[in-house]
Amino acid sequence: MRTVLIAVLGLSLSTAAALAHHSFVAEYDGDKPVKVTGVVTKVEWMNPHIWFYVDVKDEAGKVTKWGFSGGSPGILQRRGIPRNALKIGDVVVVEGFRARDGSNNASGGRVTFSDGRQVFTASSEDKAPGAK
Amino acid sequence: MKRHLLGLFVVLAAAILTLDAQTSNARSIPRTPDGKPDFSGFWEHPQRPGAAFGATTFDKAKLPPFVPGGEALFYEPRTGDPRHDEPRAFCMPSGFPSNLFGPYPVQMVQSPKWLVMVHEYDRMTRLIPLDGRAHRDVEPTFYGEPVGHWEGDTLVIESRNFKRWSLDDYYYQDRTQYRMHSEALRTIERLTRVDANSIQYQITIDDPKIFTLPWSEDLVMRARPEWEKVGLFEFVCAENNRCPGGNCSEVLPGR
Repeated sequence: MRTVLIAVLGLSLSTAAALAHHSFVAEYDGDKPVKVTGVVTKVEWMNPHIWFYVDVKDEAGKVTKWGFSGGSPGILQRRGIPRNALKIGDVVVVEGFRARDGSNNASGGRVTFSDGRQVFTASSEDKAPGAK
Repeated sequence: MKRHLLGLFVVLAAAILTLDAQTSNARSIPRTPDGKPDFSGFWEHPQRPGAAFGATTFDKAKLPPFVPGGEALFYEPRTGDPRHDEPRAFCMPSGFPSNLFGPYPVQMVQSPKWLVMVHEYDRMTRLIPLDGRAHRDVEPTFYGEPVGHWEGDTLVIESRNFKRWSLDDYYYQDRTQYRMHSEALRTIERLTRVDANSIQYQITIDDPKIFTLPWSEDLVMRARPEWEKVGLFEFVCAENNRCPGGNCSEVLPGR
């Protein structure tokens, strides 16, 4: 029973982070930077914010799914990031800021590819990784 | 006496130079065939001169005193329910002026009778009549009813008939509360194309149910002719609405 309660609570909290158009300050914590390395599993190149998902494997081989939100497709394309910049199977390092609800969602600010290329996927409103 | 004459000369010379610069700017701005300043083109949203690219919010220091009860109408606490706190989170409109102040491009298309102002965010489209008509008695809306007229080279747009809605993106800075306007809101925008690269954009907020006085912000819209090549991108918020009807539980993150 206790497990069920915790699961239900966890669900209701984590879904709060899934807002369509959002305020960075309201949804993400600028004091909680996150940096993960993993494989891109899905890309939603859609308005109002792109979302991409990364499977992150720890040393024991356990996989955690992370969801990253970025700017709008228009803002990113005007910044020179084409719609096919992120591909399923790409190994990437993503830096951003964690959702306030403690879920594995984050604002995805900077993506570094295995060849060293970097793109900044954050919305103009979002805090950029490394910014004070 | 000599010193006075010299002072007078300096003042006169400065006045002539300023006037000359203004005349030369007035000549250098693009104009429509009927001689009006032409706002057609691509622009950044209105921002404070020199501000970092981001949403423009009204300066707290400029707010006039509240009328009795006005402060409670203006600051509305967030409750934790997206239906109340985050209308845009499930793709409800930002409304005016909030939408225009978001950090996305603006395209303007001008004819003698209409100015069309399109903001990329949510493809907000304002159709501003310039034919001298008066405001009508219409249903209140999120974006209000704009009507334009010329005062010399300045285009004056007065908007009325608003629904009560969020005034700006203040909650981006303070996640505990919104800033709202009332249905009595009236906005007056004054657009002056000061040179080829910028529009001086002044907005006056007159909301007598909240404030004792109207107040204004002086902003600038910078020209971005390079955006013309690609134009505005489509922006359909519902495409990835992760919170339909405010009911976030229908969509699981990290699916």
